[in-house]
Formats: sequence, C-alpha cells, structure tokens
Amino acid sequence: MGKTVTRVTKVVQTQVLMNGTRRVGRIISSLLNAINYLVRDKSGLFGLTIVVATGVIALTIHMWPLPNPDAMDYTPFLSPGGEHLFGTDRYGRDVLSRVLWGARVSISVGLAAAFSASLIGTIIGMIAGTYGGLVDTVVSRIIEIFMMIPTFFLALLIAVIMRPNVYNLIFVVAVTSWPTVARVIRAQVLSLKERLYVEVSQAFGASKRFIMVKHIMPAIVPLTLSYTVLLVSNAMLLEAGLSYLGLGDPNYPSWGRMIYEGQQLIFRAYWISLFPGLFLTINVLGWNFLGDALTRYLNPRRRAY
Amino acid sequence: MKTYLLNRILGSFLVLISVLVINFLVVNLAPGNPVIFMGGETGLVSKEYMDYMMKKWGLDKPVHERLLLYMYNVLQGDLGISYRYLEPVSKLILERIPTTLMITVPSIILGFIIGTLLATISANRAGSILDSFLSTFAMVFHSVPLFWLGIVLINVFSVNLKLVPATGMVSAQLMGKTGSFEYYLDIVKHAILPITTLTLGVFPAYFRLTKSVVMDQLTEDYVLTLQAMGLPKFKILYKHVLRNALLPAITLLGLQLGFAFAGAAIIENVFAWPGIGGLMLNAISARDYPLIMGIFLFVTTMVIVANILVDIVYSYLDPRIRRG
Repeated sequence: MGKTVTRVTKVVQTQVLMNGTRRVGRIISSLLNAINYLVRDKSGLFGLTIVVATGVIALTIHMWPLPNPDAMDYTPFLSPGGEHLFGTDRYGRDVLSRVLWGARVSISVGLAAAFSASLIGTIIGMIAGTYGGLVDTVVSRIIEIFMMIPTFFLALLIAVIMRPNVYNLIFVVAVTSWPTVARVIRAQVLSLKERLYVEVSQAFGASKRFIMVKHIMPAIVPLTLSYTVLLVSNAMLLEAGLSYLGLGDPNYPSWGRMIYEGQQLIFRAYWISLFPGLFLTINVLGWNFLGDALTRYLNPRRRAY
Repeated sequence: MKTYLLNRILGSFLVLISVLVINFLVVNLAPGNPVIFMGGETGLVSKEYMDYMMKKWGLDKPVHERLLLYMYNVLQGDLGISYRYLEPVSKLILERIPTTLMITVPSIILGFIIGTLLATISANRAGSILDSFLSTFAMVFHSVPLFWLGIVLINVFSVNLKLVPATGMVSAQLMGKTGSFEYYLDIVKHAILPITTLTLGVFPAYFRLTKSVVMDQLTEDYVLTLQAMGLPKFKILYKHVLRNALLPAITLLGLQLGFAFAGAAIIENVFAWPGIGGLMLNAISARDYPLIMGIFLFVTTMVIVANILVDIVYSYLDPRIRRG
C-alpha cells in the first residue's frame, strides 16, 4: 500500500507543480507528503482508516438499507443477532441503526467544536505571540488560569445554564478548550519570531501585521491542523461526558447520549450502552492516533521513535 | 526559591479570584433573571427562601455590588444554600468529599506509579513489540470514556464473573455496623472497581509524558558517561534517568487533579458511590445553581492548593530552583 501511495504522490506532485499555480501546487504537494507519511506509519494508518471510514458512514448513512433509527417496534430488549444485529433498545429501536446514525451527530459536534476551538486559539495565540507586550501578558495570564481550572466542571456549569442543545454543546466545548491551542501556538510564534527570515523582513521595515500574515501564519497552519485533530477526540469525549450526565441534546442522539440512555439498563440489556461506547472509543482512538502521527510528521525529531 | 514560590502563590490567588468572577458572571450574564436562577425555576421554593436569597446575595442591587457581596460571602466560607437539599452548600460538599477522595487519591497514586514505570520500560526498548504494545495499551485507555469503561467492568467482573460487588459503598446487611473489620473490608471490596476504572483513566497521561521525557534523557551525555563507567543499564535507568524524568510527572500530578476529580464525579454515578458525583448529578437535574457553583469553586480550590503543594515539593526536589 505504502509503495503505491508514494508512486501516486510523485506523479500527482509533478503534474500539479508543472501545471497548477505555485501556491496551490505547494499546498497539494505538502498534503500528499503528509498522507504519504501517515499510510506508512502504523498507528497513523489505523487512525486514518477509522476516521475516513466513520466519515464515509456519517455522510452516506441515509442511503443505507437500515431501519429508521427512531422507528419504535413492539420488540424491545431483543438480544444482538438475527434481524437486529446489535439488538433493540427499550422502545424496540434498532441499536445498530442508532449507533451508525449517531456517528453523524458525534462527528459533527466533535469537528465543529474542535474547529472553533482551534480557530479561536490560533488567532489569540498568534496575536499574543506576534504583538507581545501588554496583550501577551494578559493572554498568557488567561491561558494560565484556564490551565488550572478543571475544565470539565466549568463546561458543566455553562452547560447547565444554557439549555441543552447541539449548538450550545459545541459552544461549551470550544470555549473550554481553546486555551490549550493558544498556548502551543503562542510558543511556536515566539520561536518563529527569532528566525532569520522574520528578522530580515523586519529589517526591511515590514509591519507586525505583515509579518504575522505573510510569515507566521503559513508556518503555523500545519501545527494548528494537527492540534485540531487531537482536539476532535477531546471534544467527542467532553460531549459524551456532558451527555452522560443528562446535558446532551435529546433530539440528536450522540453516542454519549445513547450510553446515558442505556446505563440504567446495564443489568438487563448491556448492548444498548456497549455498542455506542465501543464506537465512541474506537473513534476517539482513531483521532488520537491520527493526531499523534501528524505531530510526529511535523516534528521530525520525534519521527525516529 | 522563596521568590519562585511567592510568585506561584500569587498566581494561584489570581486564579482563585478569576474563578470567583467566572462563576459569578456565568450565572449573572446568562439569559434570564438571576433571581430566578438563584431561587430555582421549579417554583417549589418558599417565599421566605426567596426573600432570604434576595437579601443574602443582594439580588436587587447593581451587578458590581453583587459581585463584591458574592466574593465577601465566599471568602467567609458561605457558598449559599442548596434549594434541592435546603442545606448549606459548604456542609453538603464537605460531607461528601472524603468519600470521593477515597477513590481519587489511591487512583492518582496508582496511576502515577503504573504510568511512570511502564513508560520507563517502554522508553528503554523504544521500537520493540513490548513498546508498541504498552503504548497502544496506554492510548486505548487515554481514549476510552471512563463512564463506559466502568459499565463494561461492572458487566465483566460483577455480573458475569461475580468477583466484586457492582455498586454502592457498603452491602445492605453491614449497613450501620461501623467499626467492625467486615465493614471496612466490605468498603474496600466495593471500592475496587471504581479505583480500577479511575486508575486506568489516569495513568496514560503519566505514561505519555514520562515516556517522551525518558527518551530525551536517554540521549543525554550523562547516560553515555555512566555507561562508559560500566554501570548496569538497570541502575542507570532507575537510579539516574527516572529520577530526572519524574520531575515533569510530579508537576502533572497537580495539574491532573482536576481531571481526576471530573472522572471521579462521573464514575461515581456509574458505581453509585456516595461521593460528590451523586451530589453533582442531583444538582444538575434540579438546576441547583448554588450547589453547582459551589462544587466548581470547591474543586478548583482543591486543585489550586494541590498545585501549590506540588510546587513546594518540586522546588525542593529541583536543585536549580532550590539554590536559585
């Protein structure tokens, strides 16, 4: 597999570099390099497979020949096997169908929360790092405070006060997880600022904004991406934890919500909570492996390990 | 060392103040009337209670005066009255916290020991099958939602194997027989599953951190020198390398406390362990804001205190700070 990918990469890269504009060519070629690395890295390949497979399920689930996830039947608590592969829940709904539909909710909440968190974190971290001075002091203090505060309890407090629905959940997760990103990005910007090419640019009279947009931002993007991937798993877990405590959105059953619904019935019908939990764990694992592999890819010193 | 510690304590104080402000702002800036927030939405609360709350929290006064009043009350140890339990929040929390600590403290200690030891083994043989097995093992438990892990463990070890009791803290027939040996043995038996769950949830952080630190340390010159001196690998690893690698893990000990508390609060509900978790769940379902705010504040304070303690230990252990 690795060899084929490398060959394809090479061909596409030459094509793009020859025919496309230079910027698009560069982006596509570096993306291909990353994928090329990921499929050769065992855990990276595993993560990529899981993430892509679940993504495909989430996108195509409405076309699958499965019973409606909300369709109730007169056959509650059927054990796994036979017509209902994962059994049925207390209303006779098909657990397999619910779990696969749940992918859509969990993945979208995770992705949306992770993207918002890393967008906020990157912007704030970049501004603090580039401008320094008072802005930086204030931002660093805020980040420090957030590092100490038990985020789960803060998320809980906000989630209790805002009504439980999907958008509020995304908001809560984003608000409580941006500081981790801001911290990493700020540190990276500070080290980038010392680089010769930034100093040269400064010597030519470039403004701070110009340096931030032209020199720092492009160098930050890969790091932001790898952190976004790691944040997705965090967001999924946080969402599941809040849903488990009854703070999820009852209209959009995520995996966390399903575990919550199944947990009072563990002695009677373990499969109602077992399967959503299994899918959640495998997905979080996939995103974590993918994120770790990306971090290794971006930091060649770690690659040898 | 003194200036270092003073700085840290000052920083902690700042964190505490900001938590107070966040707590206050979240409730006061939320849509809706803070009077209703503080007095409950169910309408079941008596008029006297509402009047008491109005006066106590100055709910008819402007925001900035209310903030000061809130801080004043909290600094006096008054976290308000829960309208679910109709008892002081501080009393409710203090009653439950020992039970929560009973599963949190052993889990953190076990997680620290297991995590750092496995990490050292893994780092020493980086790239081997053992290393990838241990790393995957840690990653799996880094990814698993703890409440679900608890449910699975109950299913396997209580329902199917019948090795340990599934839920609660004391068996019904031993209830009230405090002091006897059987009573304490029973509590230990009930605590096995929650502690196992939380330990499994806590150890991957130490594993991941310590592994990367040990691997960095192994490339240092002093390791080469010790090797050249003919010291056995075992001694180099556990006497010299691990000692240096433990410092960051000790810092993590304080930072992870918040995570451990959150984990404990959730899995207590899985195991029906009568700690702060059940209190939290009831507070959530009753929208008991004084209680939720109180728990948040209390947990944060504990994390801050633990971090100060960790800083003191750290500054003692690290000669660069001790002498600097």
